Formats: sequence, C-alpha cells, structure tokens
Amino acid sequence: MLPFASSGSKVTPRHHVGGYSNGYPRGSTFDISPHRFQPRGTASAYRSRRTQSFVRLAIVAAVLFFLILLSWRGSSALSIFSLGLLAHDQDFQLETTRYYDLSNVQGTARGWEREERILLCVPLRDAEPHLPMFFSHLQNFTYPHHLIDVAFLVSDSKDRTLEVLVQNMEAIQASEDEKMPFGEISIIEKDFGQVVNQDVESRHGFAAQAGRRKLMARARNWLLSAALRPYHSWVYWRDVDVETAPFTILEDLMRHNKDVIVPNVWRPLPEWLGGEQPYDLNSWQESETALALADTLDEDAVIVEGYAEYATWRPHLAYLRDPFGDPDMEMELDGVGGVSILAKAKVFRYGVHFPAFSFEKHAETEGFGKMARRMDFSVVGLPHYTIWHTYEPSVDDIKHMEQMEREKLAAEEAEKEKAEKAMKLKESFGDATGQWEKDKSDLANIALEEKKETGAGAPAAGTEDKTDAKVAAGKAQGKTEDKTGDKVNAGKDGVEDGKT
Amino acid sequence: MARPMGPVRLKKTSPATLAVGAALCIFILYFLIGSSTPDFSASRKATAAVHHLSPPTSPFRKPTGSGKPKPPPVTRYNLNNVTITPDPLESRENILLLTPMARFYPEYWDNLLQLSYPHELITLGFILPKTKEGNTATTELQKRITKTQKYGPEKDRFKSIIILREDFEPPLSSQDESERHKMHNQKIRRAAMAKSRNSLLFSTLGPSTSWVFWLDADVVETPPSIIQDLARHDQPVVAPNCFQRYWNAEKKEMDERPYDFNNWQDSPNAQELAKQMGPDDILLEGYAEMATFRSLMAYMHKDDGLLHEEVPLDGVGGAALLVKADVHRDGAMFPAFPFYHLIETEGFAKMAKRLGWQPIGLPNYKVYHYNE
Repeated sequence: MLPFASSGSKVTPRHHVGGYSNGYPRGSTFDISPHRFQPRGTASAYRSRRTQSFVRLAIVAAVLFFLILLSWRGSSALSIFSLGLLAHDQDFQLETTRYYDLSNVQGTARGWEREERILLCVPLRDAEPHLPMFFSHLQNFTYPHHLIDVAFLVSDSKDRTLEVLVQNMEAIQASEDEKMPFGEISIIEKDFGQVVNQDVESRHGFAAQAGRRKLMARARNWLLSAALRPYHSWVYWRDVDVETAPFTILEDLMRHNKDVIVPNVWRPLPEWLGGEQPYDLNSWQESETALALADTLDEDAVIVEGYAEYATWRPHLAYLRDPFGDPDMEMELDGVGGVSILAKAKVFRYGVHFPAFSFEKHAETEGFGKMARRMDFSVVGLPHYTIWHTYEPSVDDIKHMEQMEREKLAAEEAEKEKAEKAMKLKESFGDATGQWEKDKSDLANIALEEKKETGAGAPAAGTEDKTDAKVAAGKAQGKTEDKTGDKVNAGKDGVEDGKT
Repeated sequence: MARPMGPVRLKKTSPATLAVGAALCIFILYFLIGSSTPDFSASRKATAAVHHLSPPTSPFRKPTGSGKPKPPPVTRYNLNNVTITPDPLESRENILLLTPMARFYPEYWDNLLQLSYPHELITLGFILPKTKEGNTATTELQKRITKTQKYGPEKDRFKSIIILREDFEPPLSSQDESERHKMHNQKIRRAAMAKSRNSLLFSTLGPSTSWVFWLDADVVETPPSIIQDLARHDQPVVAPNCFQRYWNAEKKEMDERPYDFNNWQDSPNAQELAKQMGPDDILLEGYAEMATFRSLMAYMHKDDGLLHEEVPLDGVGGAALLVKADVHRDGAMFPAFPFYHLIETEGFAKMAKRLGWQPIGLPNYKVYHYNE
C-alpha cells in the first residue's frame, strides 16, 4: 500500500485544479461533499499541511517554469490559447534553405506560357525627367507583370530620381488592378564617384568615352550581380530614355529564342535634320579593318564606334534598317548596344558580363557582345524591328538651332522692313494714286465737260485699283504673321527639346 | 491499515498523482507552444525577407495560411552602406561561403560547423551536378543541413543556405583523381568548373554580401577563425596555402604535403610559352610537358615562417579563397574560356588584376585537402 494513499488528505482536486488554490482552508464555504471523514488526528493535520505546502511549492515551480519557458522561447502567450493555429505577424516561421534546379530556368521561345521570370534591369543617373515616360512603358508591357522582377540602380544622382522612383513603384505594387503589380522590385543605390558629366557633349565626346564606358560597365555589373536570382530565365536591359517601343517587345524578342538579342534603335529628329536618324551604333558585326586596328592598339585601349578617330568599317545594325522590311529578320552581331538587350539569364550566370576593362579592345555592352561570342552564345540583332530613343539635341544641334533661330529672326526683321518699305511705297504710291486719281478725275471732269455722259465708269475703276493695292498689303502683313507663328512653334519645339 | 472504500476513495488524491498530472500538463503545453519547426532569435527575424522573391542570402517568411499572396514590396538596398573592413566581426559583415560540390564529405560539414565567425552572418551556397553522384551528394548534404538548421543549437545554424543544381552535363563521368588530372581533360573539366562557379556566384551574390569565401568541398580542415584571419589582411583576394595530410610510409607517421599548385607568381618562361600559343590554348600548372618555371606558393611554405606573411600572386587556386564582394561585383569572374591563356581560378586572378585588384597569397597559412 502506498504511504500517501492512506494519509486521509483534506485536499480535494477542487481546491487546486488549474492552480487556483491559495492555500487557505475553505471551511466556511459551501461544501457539497457529504461523506467527510471526521474527526482528524493532530498528526494527520500536520501531515496534510506539509503535503499542502509541498503541492503549493510544486504549483509555484510549475508556473515559474512556464514563465521562463515563455520568455526564453520568445513566443507570445497567445499561441497557447489559439493552440498555435493562428499565425501572427510577430511570430512567423523562417525558411532558411532554398533549393533551385537551374535546368528549369533555361529560357524558351514561349516563356510567358512556361511562367519564366524576367529580370528587368534599369541603370539610372539623374533620370527624373525620363521617369514618367518609363513608367508608362513599364505598365504597358504585355508580358505577365507578376513574372517580371524589376531592378533599378540609382547612382550619383543629384535630382529626385530616387524619390520619384520609390513613389511610383509603390503605387504600382499597391495597384487595384490585379494584373498591374510586378514581382520583386529592388531599388539599389550605389555611387561610383562619377567624374564625367552627364550632359550630351561630355557624354559623347571621344576622349571621355573609354573611361565613361568602363564606369557604365561597372554600374551594370553591380546592378546585375545584386539582382540576378536563381529563378530568372531571362534578363532584359532597358534604358529609361526610350521614347517609343512596342508593348509586346519582350515577347517579340523572346520568340527568336536567341541567347542575346537586340532591336534596332533610332531616334526622331527635327525636320531640318532629316526627320530621323540611327541612334545606337554599338550594335555591329566585326570587320577585318577593325580587327587589324585592334592589333595595333595597346592593351587598355577601347575602340568606340561612331567616332571618326576609329574608322572600323563595320556593318552597323542601325544603318541596315528598312522601314518596310521584315521585322523578324535577324543579323549576327559581335558588339551590341545597351538601350534594349534581351538575354537568357544563363548567359550572365555562366559569367558573361560588361567588361569594365578592355576586353578584346572593347568595354561595356560592346565587350559584352564580344564575350558572349567568345563563349559561343548566339548574338543577333533585328535590323527592321525598331524602337525609338528620345532626341536630345547635342551642343552642335543646339548651336545650329540657335543659328537657325537667329536666321529666322533676321529673316523676320528683313520681312518686316520689307513690309514697312512696301507700306511706305504704297503710301507714297497711294498718294500718287490719289494724285493720279485727282488728275484722272480732273481729266474726267474735263472730258465730262467735253463729252457729256461718257466718263461715268472711270471713278469706279479707280476704286477697284485701290482695293487691289490694299489686298496686296494685307497679304504682306499675313506673311509676317505666319512667320511669327513659325517662330513661336519653333520656340516651343526648342523648349521641348531642351526638356528631353 | 484499512482504507475506506466507496465514494470516499474519489475524494482522496495523492500528491504523487498531482505531480504526475502537472508534469503532463507542462509536457502538453510545451508541445503546444513549441511547434515542429525551430524558432530563431529576434536578430535573425529582423533580417528576414518578407517574400520568397528576395535575395537568397537572407531567410524569408514562410507564407502562412490561405488568402491571396500580396505582391512583393518595393525594397531598397543601399550598397554604399555595405562595408568591407579588416574586422568583419566588428561591423557584422555578411559572408557568402560558396562551394561547388561533387561529393559530400562529412568532414567538410563538421569543419564548417566549427567556424568561429557568427553563423547567423554566414550564407552557404552549393552547386551540384545533376548526375547520380550529384544526387547522392545532394541527399547527404540536405540531411546534414536539416539536422543543423532544424534541430541544431541556434549558434550552429547558418543565416541561409542555397542549393543549386547545374544546368549542363558534366564533361567527365569519372571523378577519379587520375582521370581528373589528365592534361587533355583539364581544359574541358576546368571550363565546366568555371561555369559552375559563375552560376553559383552570380545567382547568390545579392545586395548585402561583403565577402565571398570560396571553399572547395574536399577541403576538410581549416583553422576555426579562418574568415577573420584572412579578412584581417584587407586585401581584395586572399589565398591560403592548401596542403594534404597523408601517411608517410618512410617515416611511419602522418605527414603533410603541398596540394594546390594553382597559386603562383608568373615567370618569363610561362609568358614566352603563352606567346607561342594559339588563342584557344591554355597554360596549365603541374605538368612535366609544360615547364612554366613559375614560383609556386605551395613551395614557399616555411615551417618557421610568419603565419601572416603575404606574397603577391598572378594565379590563384580555388581550394580556399577569400574575395571582397566588390571584386566580383566589378565583374571579376571565372573565365570558362582561355583568358590570356588562363582558365577558371587562374583566369579569375588575371581578370581581377585587369580590373585593378591584386591577389595575394599566405604561404604559411594552411588549409587541408581531403586525402582520396
């Protein structure tokens, strides 16, 4: 027999269940147990008290243990009552292990059907004026938005690029339209200490090119390496200053199923410059002349296209454009431009990047094309599939436009003077006409006197002449007005160009 | 002693029963609170990403329950604030430890667990081939990962772990040492290795990594403080000396010998050889047919030398290599094609140099290769 079983303990389960027992005897309270065993010996009472204190101690210990357990595990007491079924924001579970099979993200011709993810890379620097245009392009993409991850690199910007970017992207992600929000959005800041200015002249000056291109290459590599994930099948590089591009450009380029593919990039021009012009001269095929030239240059030299200093005689994608040509026609390339590049993610995963050093005498996107070829990837361009870059007047263009403006003003002035002269002449001529009229009427009077009733039509003819002269003057006036109108329009254009 | 029977018996409860009951309650509640998956410290939770579409160098919140998943948030990363200092512990810099793996050695994992750098700052990245052997290695690796990340003590668990499977066929079916080291197989093998390394690197680097630590799967012994020790040099690329322990039959005792010969300083001979080569040929180290007379770091080791002695290098091996993340971000990768007649890790050293980063080696700081 257990020693405790016969203790005759007064403690009943009611007294301590759930830990409510405060240790005081409940003698005065209503007791429904009818079969109480009475009376009790003193020894038994002593024993019972001892047992009670023991139980109390155990309960206190249990409660303490729980409190310690709770605080140690850091989980909220609520989870006890919710039985762990409710999930709390503060109490989420972490997943630390990720598994990816890269053979699932190779990139195919119909990626949108296989739910292939695209990484859209956009390098930015002081790009605030272009952003509204870019966001409209972004929202218009027909490729399923949830499959597009967007990564921006904002470097060395002095304007509000970053703020505008964050605001707009957050608005897009919070959009009511289910089809609008994109996948992962990364906004990466990194300053490289830009030495070269971003204005058109310093950007495109020959001497600045090599250094500038190497810096651009670094920026691109930093962006890519921070944003490329094991779940990307494609990478699309897009500049913000593209003005017009088909909404379906991602699908259009993807359909070709090439490792690296670029469209043709042109830009619209003012009428006096011919209306349009090839813009991106970095997409080209290698030529013997260029290879021979490359051999003569030192290790760190960088050949840049589109400058008279390096006459390479390479066939350029841009110059092969036929506005009515087949947009699906392909052309093999060795160097590519960076305005709009679609590449399979595996190209970048295998190590092809934008050389920030002279790689086979090329850097940045042209070096990228060269390196991709070196690793036997296909690099093609579409000569008749064109997107349009914005027109930024160069310093020469601006000078030219100012010149044109001056010429216009001068012409206007001359016109005015001419008109004034004409007016004066007319006035004097008008006087003369008056005189002539007078003389005429005098003559007529004389004639009238001489031959009665024959000169009746003469004054009428005189008035007709007068009206003619007025009309001519009016015409001259109208011309000057037209000119002024032209000037106003040109001025507006100028302002717009300046903006863009 | 007679005991009253009947209803009275119900009233009587022994303290022993109560104690057992209380213990049971505690036991049940313990399992109610503690769910099957482990909990992590608050600092770990603070660095977690809210969506699974996020840099793999951070853990992410498991999607909970039903309901439509929200689109990922706009996340800002300021890379100007990612520091790379000689004392990475002080500024709590993130380490990305990368390992291309063909076979899983338990000793490798045990060695990782004894690293003294805080594990919550270390992300592990693995890439394995999609072969039978690779599958076996993956299974074994995953077993050890689960053991550490789920059931191991908090301090042992790593920040996050990424397992990748290669997307190309491995060029050689055999991983035997003799077959592997045949010269004509070297170029193909190392080109594939370069692709593996690049795939691993460029899909895991992310925006918060400060240092990339390359450690081969067959390096089974390093000093526990290796990350801190190598970072202390504050150099863009640091290579320790890779040795191998073996049973010296002559001396009848365990001995060690140099193993990795890809850490070298260039020689006029090698440059002369390179000049005569075609554009697609590569220079290889450690072959009698191709005497380069380069100074190999493997032979610069001195038993009584300073542990932290530095030597400049022109080619590096990948057995163990600490690289500042900026070097890789600038574009320095492992060429899978002959780059100045060099390939893979040796080509990497050359490319880093072209970008203005000088690699160094530590001839007296040793790590040990598995003995096959």
